[in-house]
Amino acid sequence: MRLCIVGFGFLGRELLKTIWEKMFLLREIDGGFMVVGVANSKGYVYNGDGLDVEKMLSVNALSDCLGFEANPAVDLINKDLCDVIVEATPTNIRDGEPGLTHIRLALSRGIHVVTPNKGPLTLAFRELSSLAEKNNCELLYEGTVAGAIPVFSLVRECLRGDRVIRISGILNGTTNYILSRMFFEEIGFEIALKEAQERGIAEKDPSYDVDGIDAACKLVILANALMKRDVGFGDVERVGIRGITQEAVSLAKKANYAIKLIGTIDRRLEVAPKLVPVNHPLCVHGTLNAIHLETDLAREITLVGYGAGKETVSAILNDLITVLRRRARKIH
Amino acid sequence: MKFDLTLALADRPGQLLRSLEPIAKNGGNIISIIHERDKPVEGYVPVSLVVDFPSHQSFRRTIEDLRKLGVAVIKSEEVVEKARLSFILIGDVDVKGIIESGIKGMHIVGMEVSTSKLGEVSVRLEVEVSEGASEVFEELRRMAREQNILFIPPVHV
Repeated sequence: MRLCIVGFGFLGRELLKTIWEKMFLLREIDGGFMVVGVANSKGYVYNGDGLDVEKMLSVNALSDCLGFEANPAVDLINKDLCDVIVEATPTNIRDGEPGLTHIRLALSRGIHVVTPNKGPLTLAFRELSSLAEKNNCELLYEGTVAGAIPVFSLVRECLRGDRVIRISGILNGTTNYILSRMFFEEIGFEIALKEAQERGIAEKDPSYDVDGIDAACKLVILANALMKRDVGFGDVERVGIRGITQEAVSLAKKANYAIKLIGTIDRRLEVAPKLVPVNHPLCVHGTLNAIHLETDLAREITLVGYGAGKETVSAILNDLITVLRRRARKIH
Repeated sequence: MKFDLTLALADRPGQLLRSLEPIAKNGGNIISIIHERDKPVEGYVPVSLVVDFPSHQSFRRTIEDLRKLGVAVIKSEEVVEKARLSFILIGDVDVKGIIESGIKGMHIVGMEVSTSKLGEVSVRLEVEVSEGASEVFEELRRMAREQNILFIPPVHV
């Protein structure tokens, strides 16, 4: 299979590095596997016989690579130059672009898609899933929710006979870091936020995280994918963490609770601060994420792991391997 | 459903066994039994039981059968299982209003208030909820929204 990586930011680069390190693993499954294209917002490099990945990792900018073409990434997808893409452009939850166009185009041309990009899946889950089905191709998005935690794979592969009744989770590492600092250091929200920003955990404009927007997007994807709902971002009731006082965190702590930003799917779809008993499996600290599944047969399962950063490569690579396993034989 | 029963048995051999028969016959499962044999009152011995009955009907039939046997039933009431839950309110909290709100099924058992330097009030309330915790929390949530205060309920109610 021929892979194009669309989006060459932090994750795209980490993925390429990992593919290079684990090429033997990918080739064991599909002897013809190769990376043929890498694109960013300015252009792309392409080689139908496979790119020299090692060389590409040594340059600072994609545009410094030999054969760089200042043409849009859609050209790579349009010309049927690949069999699978990893769509890793930055998340945009307003209109999903440019990811939405990339994914739509790929699926409509029968190209498999693996993506950690939340925007398109939040905005057009049903459309993209049916497009994939109609064109008989894979659309895998493990990396969109809780980074390295394999929640979609777990439910689909290991809980096939279960009905998921409720999902609740800590789906945003930045807010969990802030709340954890408030809990352990007894500092106020503003100070904890500033510290998170200094450490590069929170953005300069933190609203995407602290107002629960990021967590709400993930909730939408979980609800659509694992609970057969047909919901959008507007269906999520959302309360962020800006209003949480140091005093409230201390009152909770004295009574053996931690305040956590919890996303819940049951009667309602909600992202809001909740009191979590300190001995509950969801009560994880720092930048960790946790997802608590309640199902009719297994009853309760909790997954804990890293929700962002280069750990997400684990999810992308597993999705890529799934595509290779399911499809490699059919094509070659 | 669990019921709390107190029977008065005549202080004679075989009375306890006789009184338990209607319970067994109607499908009751005895969870606890206290037979205060050494404390007879005017020739009667009090026996306290907690029994799990399959239905209200089986409970009522048991009481009828006991009375037919001549066993005095001093007390018979359903045991309401109460959940103790905490929640936090932040902002311009009207604590008195909440206490006086009379939300059905909720009984306030504890409260702790902490005020920040800026005068913002954080309150932790501990309540006993006898039935339908989710309805009680819906009501609290509605109140908090009306008063524009931040409501932090427990996870999973």
